[in-house]
Amino acid sequence: MDITAWNWEVMTPEFIILGTATILSLIDLFMPDDRDRRFLGILGLLGVIAAGFYVIKFAGAEPVQIMNDMFRLDSFGTAFKLIFLTGVALLFILSIQYLNRQNQEVQYRGEFFYLVLTALLGMMIMASSADLITLFVGLEVLSVSSYILVGIRKKHLYSNESAFKYVVSGAIATAITLYGMSFIYGITGTTNLYDIAERLASAYQQGFSLMIYLGFFLMLVGLSFKIAVVPYHMWAPDVYQGAPTPVTAFLSVLSKAAGFAIIIRIFLSVFRSIVNYQSDAGSFYVLFQELNLYIAILAAASMIIGNTLALRQTNIKRLMAYSSIAQAGYILVPLVTFWGINFFSQTLFYLVAYLFMTLGAFAVIMVVTTDRGTEDIRSFAGLYHRSPFTAIAMTIFLLSLAGIPITAGFFGKFYIFMSSVLYENYWLAAVMMGTSIISYIYYFGIIRQMYMRPGDTEARLAVPLPAAFVIAVGVLGTVAVGLFPDLVLNYLNQNLQFTDMFARP
Amino acid sequence: MPLYTNNYVLVTIFLFLGILLPVAALTFGRFLRPNNLYPEKQTTYESGVEPTGESWIQFNVKYYIYALLFVIFDVETIFLYPWAVAYDKLGLFALIEMLIFIVLLIIGLIYAWKKKVLEWK
Repeated sequence: MDITAWNWEVMTPEFIILGTATILSLIDLFMPDDRDRRFLGILGLLGVIAAGFYVIKFAGAEPVQIMNDMFRLDSFGTAFKLIFLTGVALLFILSIQYLNRQNQEVQYRGEFFYLVLTALLGMMIMASSADLITLFVGLEVLSVSSYILVGIRKKHLYSNESAFKYVVSGAIATAITLYGMSFIYGITGTTNLYDIAERLASAYQQGFSLMIYLGFFLMLVGLSFKIAVVPYHMWAPDVYQGAPTPVTAFLSVLSKAAGFAIIIRIFLSVFRSIVNYQSDAGSFYVLFQELNLYIAILAAASMIIGNTLALRQTNIKRLMAYSSIAQAGYILVPLVTFWGINFFSQTLFYLVAYLFMTLGAFAVIMVVTTDRGTEDIRSFAGLYHRSPFTAIAMTIFLLSLAGIPITAGFFGKFYIFMSSVLYENYWLAAVMMGTSIISYIYYFGIIRQMYMRPGDTEARLAVPLPAAFVIAVGVLGTVAVGLFPDLVLNYLNQNLQFTDMFARP
Repeated sequence: MPLYTNNYVLVTIFLFLGILLPVAALTFGRFLRPNNLYPEKQTTYESGVEPTGESWIQFNVKYYIYALLFVIFDVETIFLYPWAVAYDKLGLFALIEMLIFIVLLIIGLIYAWKKKVLEWK
């Protein structure tokens, strides 16, 4: 086969990100040590914007694959890549603010920027490949980059502790994922997801069901690490607390979205076509009518554990960690009703809403905690008197996270809730409703601090321009998506044909 | 199912062979060699150097970074061999691909050099 005949153009966004990361590292190496490295962030931002331009340019086209499905350009990947690129662009703006001259904690400033870029590269590969090995390499590129990013405050005790915990638990999760993949590979003898899907369906009829289940459960448990849901959630609070705030935002939004991308891609591609013909109740799809129960249990457990443990937290970043465990539980709910018509658009809608509200909230958290020098929730006391607009913006983010109407979070949750009811998954809908109400307690606890508690200082809080920009984009996104949810849903449904994920060009 | 479990027969044979071989070799050696022990012979073998101190000592962390660098370029040569053997069939495209691979590794080497990993102090 002639390898030059492949359409390498479809990988342009990935090549741009790789090139930008390489150039940034070279500039950083040959620059005098005492220079301000924040312009590297601006260069990185330009690279991200250029990559985003090409992703949008390729959007809506027929699916293209190169190297035997090792790289695929389809609507599923495009949608996720747009989320990643938007998030990383906002994150870069936030990081330029974070790495200012007063910040003495991060010595390796150049590394900060290009490690975010390599992590982005890993996420993009995770979203647009249909080969187990390539998907796994993408996962590892993301993981290794984020391990270093978590520990980038080299002399900071908590940062070191959280990086160590992240590496160890991450390595175990990786091992479990690989072990699960090895069963699937052992049965089918291929790493191509489409070939696996065909051979797995016939292997199931031949009585290999036990090994298929083993592969499914091991992969589910291993990959649940990336999205921080039960049973692999326990690292999140410690790591989120110790990581620098922009990295925490990265872990809770982008790394999580990438985890969902790989989970949906693998499970939906591989296990979709397995049918049980021999049951007494007639033939049924194993993934959609049997295995989805276990995903439902994980979702419910995450919602309950995340939301109840968040009640007792006094550290704002730990609180956001438990909140993000619960949020991941919500996003898992549409996966339970896998074949719902609006499954893709519901998941992506929630991820878009989650992107804006969480990044915005972390921008506010970064400004406030840096100003007060503590991460205690009490650092928000009296924020309304110090900076009314910041307080109002934070209120919008928290209302959206809690799922109160006219915010993006409300509609995201509403659609998920309705789909769950529609597919007669009443108990899961009830758990979602109940835990959402519990979550009001801690979200409103922060709002109470901002408006009703006297702070230690009444001095005006100056919000630096880059952070203010991220907060403004967050507010605009949250409110606009909340006011016109149909626009977003229609765009997703009309421009991106998600079913082309299953098409083999 | 029978096909799959049959594979483990091979694994078991290999396991037994793996245990048997060193046991047999050492037993044969015991019968063949002259038995002439003196104290110098029983000391730890340290490449001809007089062994000193305990075996549980702290190594300089630089050993590990050095070792990592070595492993990376060792693996690089492993990738280069099959490419070089099949060079005629793969053609220009693989050459470009290999160049990208080597250039990225060289950037890694420059990184290590600039971060003073190659200096020993």
